[in-house]
Amino acid sequence: MEAKLNIILEEAQESLKNISSRAEYETFKARLMGPRGSFTECGKGIGKLPKHERPIIGKHINIIKKELELIFKQTLERIQGIELNQSLGTGIDPTLPSPDISSGTHHILSQVRREICSIFHKVGFTVAEGPEVETEFYCFDALNTPPDHPARDAQDTYYLPQSFKSGNLSRREDERYVLRTHTSTVQVRTLLAENPPLRIISPGRCFRRDTMDATHCANFAQIEGLYVDKNVTVKDLKAILDYFSRALLGEKARTRFRPHFFPYTEPSFEVDFYSAHLEKVGTEWIEVMGCGMIDPSLFEAVEYNPKEWTGYAFGMGLERIAMILYGVDDVRYFYQNDLRFLKQFL
Amino acid sequence: MKISHQWLTRYLGLNKSSRDIEDALTLIGFEVEGIEKLGLQHLKNVKVGEVVSINLHPQADRLTVCEVNVGGKDGNRQIVCGAKNFKIGDRVAVALPGAELPGGIKIKKSKLRGITSKGMMCSPKELGLSDDHEGLHILDAHFEIGLSINEVLPQGDLVFDIEVTPNRPDCLSYIGIARELGAYFNQDFSYPKVNIGFNEDGPVNNLIKAVQVDTKENCPHYRAYPIEGIKIAPSPDWLQLLLKSVGLRPINNIVDITNFVLHELGHPLHAFDAKKIRGQELKVRLALKGEKIITLDGKDRELEPDMVVIADKERALVIGGIMGSIDAEVDEKTTDVVLEAAYFDPINIRRTSRALGLTTDSSYRYERGVDPCGAENAALRAISMIQEIAGGELISEPYVAGGPVIIERKIELTPEFVHRSLGFNVESKIIKETFGKLKLNVDTYETEDGNEKWVVEIPSFRLDLERPIDLVEEILRIYGTDKIPVATVMTPGLLREDDLVSVFLNKASDYLVGQEFNECSNYSTRNEKELLYWYSNTDVCNLGLDNPLTSDQSHLRNSLIPGLLDSLKLNQSRGNNPMQLFECGRVFKEREGRVWELISVAFIIMQTPNSEIWLVREEPDFHKAQKNTTRILEFAGINLSEEEFTPIEKRKAWQTGHAAETGDFLNGYEIEVGLVSLSMLKNWGIVGNILAGDIYLQPEFLKRDRGRPHYLAFSQFPPTTKDLAILVDSNVLAGKVKLDLEKIAHACINDEFELESVSVFDLYEGRELPKDKKSLAFSLVFRSLERTLTDLEVNRIFGEIQKNISEHTDYEVRS
Repeated sequence: MEAKLNIILEEAQESLKNISSRAEYETFKARLMGPRGSFTECGKGIGKLPKHERPIIGKHINIIKKELELIFKQTLERIQGIELNQSLGTGIDPTLPSPDISSGTHHILSQVRREICSIFHKVGFTVAEGPEVETEFYCFDALNTPPDHPARDAQDTYYLPQSFKSGNLSRREDERYVLRTHTSTVQVRTLLAENPPLRIISPGRCFRRDTMDATHCANFAQIEGLYVDKNVTVKDLKAILDYFSRALLGEKARTRFRPHFFPYTEPSFEVDFYSAHLEKVGTEWIEVMGCGMIDPSLFEAVEYNPKEWTGYAFGMGLERIAMILYGVDDVRYFYQNDLRFLKQFL
Repeated sequence: MKISHQWLTRYLGLNKSSRDIEDALTLIGFEVEGIEKLGLQHLKNVKVGEVVSINLHPQADRLTVCEVNVGGKDGNRQIVCGAKNFKIGDRVAVALPGAELPGGIKIKKSKLRGITSKGMMCSPKELGLSDDHEGLHILDAHFEIGLSINEVLPQGDLVFDIEVTPNRPDCLSYIGIARELGAYFNQDFSYPKVNIGFNEDGPVNNLIKAVQVDTKENCPHYRAYPIEGIKIAPSPDWLQLLLKSVGLRPINNIVDITNFVLHELGHPLHAFDAKKIRGQELKVRLALKGEKIITLDGKDRELEPDMVVIADKERALVIGGIMGSIDAEVDEKTTDVVLEAAYFDPINIRRTSRALGLTTDSSYRYERGVDPCGAENAALRAISMIQEIAGGELISEPYVAGGPVIIERKIELTPEFVHRSLGFNVESKIIKETFGKLKLNVDTYETEDGNEKWVVEIPSFRLDLERPIDLVEEILRIYGTDKIPVATVMTPGLLREDDLVSVFLNKASDYLVGQEFNECSNYSTRNEKELLYWYSNTDVCNLGLDNPLTSDQSHLRNSLIPGLLDSLKLNQSRGNNPMQLFECGRVFKEREGRVWELISVAFIIMQTPNSEIWLVREEPDFHKAQKNTTRILEFAGINLSEEEFTPIEKRKAWQTGHAAETGDFLNGYEIEVGLVSLSMLKNWGIVGNILAGDIYLQPEFLKRDRGRPHYLAFSQFPPTTKDLAILVDSNVLAGKVKLDLEKIAHACINDEFELESVSVFDLYEGRELPKDKKSLAFSLVFRSLERTLTDLEVNRIFGEIQKNISEHTDYEVRS
């Protein structure tokens, strides 16, 4: 009897392993535990045993019963799990392409603009904005560009008609409205509207009456910085642009100041960057930006005392920086919006 | 501007490599844009050799095997050659192994068709002398065998193409550049020699009797020198070579000398054929209206009355400071000349030059500003050269009108100011030396407090130096910007917030990128036809530029949508499957003749989903687009509810019945959203339906004081919800029904408790309903701040609401 019980238990252990549906489970359970099941029969047979064996066998039956109940319970749980999963249908194929549209992207010029703003934000510069349609005063007069200066020529600057009336931009006198040729206009506006000390960075779209080609565009984005405080020196200007070049291009980047001329800074410099990363683009020193110490006459124009206030300004073209950073070789791609281009710079 | 190294050497002998000179020019502010090599450069291992024997190459008909004597212990060497133009005994240039020829050819010992060749005999082209590659360069003299080729042939030239900034007209000349480089390399430069013979007892001047200036403001100084008995001929070789090296065409000795002096000293000159001056007088006057002149470039030109001419008694002979006419041209028959040296007003020259579309070396210098005191010196230098090269005699004192515009300028400067501007110390001694090198005289004084003070005298050719800061730049330029010490950036806290325009646009684009939109960037200028096409209700003439460059970019954009549609179309045509695009930027809206610059965010969504995919998603609809617009406005602090939108009807860009708008940009913001007009899209060449959202904001609106929301008490008790279905005309907006319902409900509740919300939860149109009717099901939520509402009281109010709707509105309550 004892052996028989052990065989039943072994059989149950073996068979239940392979049972994976509820029907099989029920059938098998009935075969052992049903009214005429093999295990039930063992229980019934206990009465036929000699009296002294009965307690021993009875005890054994109870042990086997507990064992059986446990494995049946475990099997049932396993089967229920299988059933739940089956209710979800076929499993997924993670390698199928997503039916949703592909990822959104920031335009590369926006990314570069934000990166530059963020680099300067770390050293205390905040963003200032200004209008794209400007008056000659902010675009030229306040920046030491005399009426006869070639930059103001209708050949180079877009003018709006004499009759143009603006809803939200006032004029000082009857100067013309122009499409701003640089974001230095924002510097003038900020100097006039706010009080020193000032540290601003002004990104924005500018316009020049240029024929379009791989390096010229009638629309372009500029980013300029302005710093006004007491005792600002050439050394400080060099320091901030050294910092900028390293933040943008890595610790090994170097800068070079070439004396230059801008009407609103003195001294003025063009700035070249050099770094191993740039070498890929092909040149040793690459021209990146213009800068200089704010000309005292500019301070006078905005009624700051040039004996008290000093400062520097710098500016660069976003397209040029993006071209250097990413090796783009035609400025027109920035304005074509081909998705194969837009998606390269996730 | 082109600077020939050979020419420069006349004033400043620099024993520097081309690289050193290039770097120096760049570092003192004259960016080198290119370097051109002319003629023979320094060549290592290229020597004079003599052809000793010539034999045919056994394996190649076209080649010969020569023995060439290059002297020294090398003696004769075997060279295989392809040229035919030489014979035994010729002396030629031989490039020995190790030589590097122009164009990067490196010479090494090699085998040509099996025969060893230990060098190369060179053609003129291989030596860089000319483009001649037909045969060897046979030396015309019996130069000593074994000498370096650089010792026997004239040296070539290096031409630097440099950028001269507008503030430095003094450097549009060799003397200017020599002064700058001399200062940088700490080397003295020399002025050209002037040596004039003036014979007091010479012939009587019959060439010219008077010079008169009628327009002194445009020509404050005019000098005319009569010179008799010159002999016109081609210029000597050296002069022709120098002119050619900077791209000038030699004409004859007189014209070449005036051109030479213009480049040498930066001061333009003009030579008249004296015999062609009618009436023996020169007059500087304004042109007559419609006066005509044929300039030396052969063009007929009609002048305006604000242009300056130099005329004789009868006609204009020169457009002052710009170009002469063929009427007084110096030609091969000329024997006497009148040489003009003058100063013209830069602004007038620029205007005339622009108006005529005529820029010359002369006009370029006058408009940038020549040395106001330089006329006489330039004239004397030219006369000296004329006497030397073309003969001729100066037969009288010059005729002079006006005089040099002398601007005496002295700038006071202190070492302390220099230090304060630079942020580092440059020794006083170095500063004073720098000024000396730049020909700025310095007087040193002691101030009352015992410090040093300098008074710097500015020469007339440095019109750009006006203030102490200008001198600081001079110091730094010559001292070297590479010596600015390394410093750390001071990083104080922020002084202000980022501009809210930029904050808003960043948030809007972050949101849209998160919604899987691709950001685009389109031009701000569009064409008129398109504006009229999409926005016929706008008076587009107000958006036009005065001077567009091309007709397709003639107007300011008044919406970002057309640009986005262009981008979509481009991507469709390239098979890129564009789905969702957006742009942020500035647009220009016209309203009653005024143009408003607005901040704009716009997006477009392809409504038709991509069917070429294994699992097709639900189509986006109006409500998705609308949600994007209201979400974006939240970044500007505006919470819009849907009932604030009204449908757009009969507007070209939008599909009637499928687009809506809200706001008015004059009050701050405006939104248009919905389906872009189907017929317009079709004409535009775009496949599929497009949902678009167009948002405009006044920049100032973003800066308004938004305040803080005030806390409102909220109930701690449970709500009671009642549903109510209302039958209304199909064209009635849900938002209006909702407002009406709220109004009635408030009246009925009469402040007994709160109407917490009213919202549409079902919309039904169908066969069971009468035609042109729809059923709107509302959910009304009631709540009290003080207690749990009883069914009884809510039911009573709800009954009243239904009764009121039935009695006081056109709506029908459905049971």
